[in-house]
Order: sequence, then structure tokens, then C-alpha cells
Amino acid sequence: MGARPIIQVENLSHTYMKGTPLEHVALKGANLYVEEGECIAIIGHTGSGKSTLIQHFNGLMRPESGKVIIDGVDLSKKKVDVKTLRQKVGLVFQNPEDQIFEKIIGDDIAYGPFKLGLPLKEVRERVKWAMSVVGLDFEQMKDRQTFALSGGQKRKVALAGILALKPKILVLDEPTAGLDPKSRNELLEKIKRLNREEKLTVIFVSHNMEEVAMLADRIYVMAGGKDVLCGTPKEIFTDKEKLQLHHIGTPETVQVLYRLTDLGYKVSVDAFSISEATEEIIKVLHGTKEDLEDVQRV
Amino acid sequence: MSSEFEISRSITIGQYVPTDSYIHRLDPRVKLLLFVVIVVAIAFNTSYIGNAIGLFLSLYLFWASKIPISYGLSGVKPAIPFIIILALLQLLFQGQLFSGGKVYVDYGFILITSESIRLVVVSAVRFIEIIFLSSVLTLSTSTTQLTHSIQSLLSPLKKINFPVHEISLITTISIRFVPTFAIEMEKMMKAQASRGADFGTGGWWRIIQRTKETFPIIIPLFNIALSRAEDLILAMESRCYTPGGNRSSYSVYKTLAKDYLVLLVGLLFAYLLIFYPFPF
Ligand SMILES: Nc1ncnc2c1ncn2[C@@H]1O[C@H](COP(=O)(O)OP(=O)(O)OP(=O)(O)O)[C@@H](O)[C@H]1O
Ligand SMILES: [Mg+2]
Repeated sequence: MGARPIIQVENLSHTYMKGTPLEHVALKGANLYVEEGECIAIIGHTGSGKSTLIQHFNGLMRPESGKVIIDGVDLSKKKVDVKTLRQKVGLVFQNPEDQIFEKIIGDDIAYGPFKLGLPLKEVRERVKWAMSVVGLDFEQMKDRQTFALSGGQKRKVALAGILALKPKILVLDEPTAGLDPKSRNELLEKIKRLNREEKLTVIFVSHNMEEVAMLADRIYVMAGGKDVLCGTPKEIFTDKEKLQLHHIGTPETVQVLYRLTDLGYKVSVDAFSISEATEEIIKVLHGTKEDLEDVQRV
Repeated sequence: MSSEFEISRSITIGQYVPTDSYIHRLDPRVKLLLFVVIVVAIAFNTSYIGNAIGLFLSLYLFWASKIPISYGLSGVKPAIPFIIILALLQLLFQGQLFSGGKVYVDYGFILITSESIRLVVVSAVRFIEIIFLSSVLTLSTSTTQLTHSIQSLLSPLKKINFPVHEISLITTISIRFVPTFAIEMEKMMKAQASRGADFGTGGWWRIIQRTKETFPIIIPLFNIALSRAEDLILAMESRCYTPGGNRSSYSVYKTLAKDYLVLLVGLLFAYLLIFYPFPF
């Protein structure tokens, strides 16, 4: 992991429909710091401002007050080369419907590379590559109509359209919502590989704590338009008080381990990856007599 | 600068803002009727003073319905380029039709007189007045209220088998969908910009560039409009909507004394705008 900061957000605020009777404050003083090559999860309740925050990363929204610095570019300045910025920061929207606008899948994924002015051959290569990453068959799917796709297929096409830009920073808004468990796991593995092997910086919003525990190096918790908590999954998921204070859910593994400690078993609650948790549980099952007597006394 | 893609901010038509003002509580039928009558009156009036009064009235209505005037102005802003182009065209090419008064410029086919200037100024102001008035109407009247009032104002036409209910429904749906499409357009622009399209890099005065930028949005927007319409049909049918069905309504509007008073004042105002010989 490089120690170079690639995204810095300081005291960022945003108001929708500013100056109208319908104005709504979505962000009030959010902070975030991401290093190159990190994988960051942003969690928080519905309406806490996650989508608003990440739309600042590729300059779709400009800081109304506060600072956003992306790879050394200060977005609060008036003159920003947004085109280069948007190629560098690939943003996948929360709703794939909002992202797909061409009629044919192949055209839609090729839109970005074409706009970059790449030669046809290279565009084709990129479309092929992007489709294989998200698990869409190139030959079979490239000529299908985009409106006649299932929700999960749309999500994959939307992601492929962004990957084809070959961004340095990948920003995903709930990337696995609406996917079946198999595609979900495949996609997560792919994202993990892109992050670990191709050194892509990944920032993703998620409501699924298993996913967060599996992927994230660090977690930011948002509430009421602010970042209220930040730390590694271990730090966040083992801090019971804060979890309750901010109504944060935990992966099921952590829930099981917490139940076991409540019942008096000695397990470590920070073993939340499935394999670690299994080991902890096996330990309990093979527990020594003394341990069991301990439990009975409690 | 944060509003590069915030088109919906400047759409004031079709957006209901519940401030519960005096204007909001008026009988919607009275409001709608007066709206139509005053718009017609404004269209008839060609004097500077008359249109100044009309402009003043529409600003007053914003104030009376407790809706910030700045919000009303933001609704006019996108129309400014059109108003300017229209004014220029009229000034340059229609001088012959409205000659009269003092002649300022007479050069080839270009004829600019005090009368043709009046025409240009008055039609620009009229345009703004009408945007203001329709904004106030939709900002202070909910969709349901609008539907009901169109329906009840047109109800005499039922006798000649005019599809009153359908027409009122269609009208209100189209008004209601103006802000929705602004939001859809915003999303579409964001989607394309995220993948390298140029938007909003030129100022608003660079009309040709900005117009060109909108072409690639229009066709997908049509698709969205159609699929929105399909969704709406499903939603209505699943709630057992049948066209032509006889339905009662939840809220019954009563025209009170104050409504009649407002109606009277409004009609008087429209009468003056049309028939009073303004000196200037
Ligand atoms: N275009 C808009 N106009 C007005 N208000 C908006 C707009 N978009 C979002 N908001 C409001 O801003 C707040 C934050 O929205 P945002 O989409 O950032 O939430 P979120 O954390 O992504 O929620 P979710 O988990 O449901 O996606 C919400 O209260 C929302 O109602
Ligand atoms: Mg969101």
C-alpha cells in the first residue's frame, strides 16, 4: 500500500436545490482520507449522504464549501480538467438504469473508450476485457438490447462501462445490490483482485456487512451528512458501544461470536472472516471441560 | 459552480411548494380560471404601463404565496437566451409589420421604429410574466387540485361528449412530469459526463455549443419518457383505474366569499388590462 493520499475530503458540505424552498442539506462537514491502493467501504443509513459524497469524487458535484482534493487536483478551484478527472475516477451509480443510455450493450460499454479517442481495435479490446471482468459473455451479450436486461445484468453492464475507461480510482455505489449470491461473490472476488493485483484504489458504498468485512481495508461510517466513525473492520466491528450508538449492523459471523461471548464462551469477536469464525466456533465445540464448567456457572 | 448538473433547480413549473399561504388556500378553480383570464388579458395588452402592472402583479403573487422571488427568477433564467433571440429576430425582421411612431433606423429591410421597439420589449416582458404566473399557479396548487379544477371548469363540455376527465388528467400529468424529466435529464447528463462527454464547459451564452451538447441526451430521454409512461400505466391499472369510470372525489371544494372576492378583483384587473387606454 502506497502512503500517498489520493482522495482528501475536508469539511465538505452540500445542499440540494440551494436557494429554493425545497432545499435539503445532504452533507454537513464530511471528512474522508484515502491512500493510493486502499479499499475503502462507506456505510451508513439510507439518506446519510453517501451517494452525495461520492459524486464529488469525479467532479459531478463541486464542493459548495470545504475541500475535495483528488490525486493532487483541488476541485474547489474554478478551472479543473474534469474530463481527465472523470477518466481517472470511474463512478458507478447506485441505479444502473441511470447509467446506461445506449441501445446496445456493446455500444454502451464502448462509449467511454470512444470518447477517449482510442482506435477501434483498442476500444474492442477494452469492451471485451470489461465484459469478462464483470462476467458477461462478449459474443453472446454484445449485441443485446440494454432495455431488455434483468436488474443484475444492467448492474454488470453499468460497471463494465466504467471499467472500460480503465480508471485509477473505482468508486462503486452499492455494486452488488440486486445480484444473486453467485454473481455477487464472483464480482466481489473480481473487485478484490483489481484492488490487490492491479493496484486500483476502490471506494464502495454498501449495506452488506459481510461484503464490507471481506473487502475493506478501512470503513467510514456516515450519519446525518457527516463521517462519524472510521477504522479498520476489526476496530469498527469490535467496538460494541459505537456499533449500538450509530445503529451499525455487523456481519453475521460477528453476531454469532457476540452471542457466544454473551453466553460466556471465550471467543475473540474480531474473527469475522468466515474461516476465522469457523475456527473459533470449532474451538468452542472442542472446548475443554473447564471451559464448559465455566459456562455453566455463568 | 456546484450546480453544473442541477437543472431541476431552475424548473419552477410543475413543482408544488407547500407553504400554506393565502394563495395556497384559495379555491383551485378560482385560481385556474383567473390564471387563464389574466394570461389572455396580458396577451391583449400592448402598452408599457399595462405590462409593467402585469409584471408587478406576478411578482406580488410570489410574495403573497410565500415563495421566494429568487426561486421564480431561477425559472426564468433558462428562458433568457430564447427571449433574447426572439427579441432580436423581431427587432430586425418584423419592423415592417409594426411600423409607426418615430423612425430610428431605416436601413435596407431593417426598420426600427418606436412601435417596433415597443413590440419587442412588450413581448419579452409578456413572456416573463407568463412564466411567472404559471409558476405561481403550479407552485401553489397540488396536482390533484389542478386535475379537479380543470375537470370542473371543463365539465359543461361533457354535454357534447368532450372527454373532460381524460383531458384534465393528461394535462396535469404532463405538468407534473416537467420536474421529473428535469431530474431524468440531470441523471442522463451525469451518466454521459462520467464517461467523458463534455457538458457545461461553455457558459450559458454559448448557445450553439450548449444546444449541440443536448442532442445526445434527447433520444435516450425519449426512451425514458416512454418507459416512465409504461410504469405509470401499470401503477394506475394496479390501483384499478379505469378510463371513463365514474368517480367521486375525496376533497370537495367550496367556493367561499373570499374566493368570490378574489375572482371579482381578478376579473376587474383583467378587464382593465384589456380595455383601459393606457397612455404609454
Ligand atoms: N437530487 C436531489 N434533490 C434533493 N435532495 C436530494 C437529491 N438527492 C438526494 N437528496 C437528499 O439528500 C440526502 C442524502 O442523499 P444520498 O443519496 O446521498 O443518501 P445515501 O446515503 O446515498 O442513501 P442510500 O443508502 O439510500 O443510497 C437524502 O436525504 C436525500 O433525500
Ligand atoms: Mg445512495
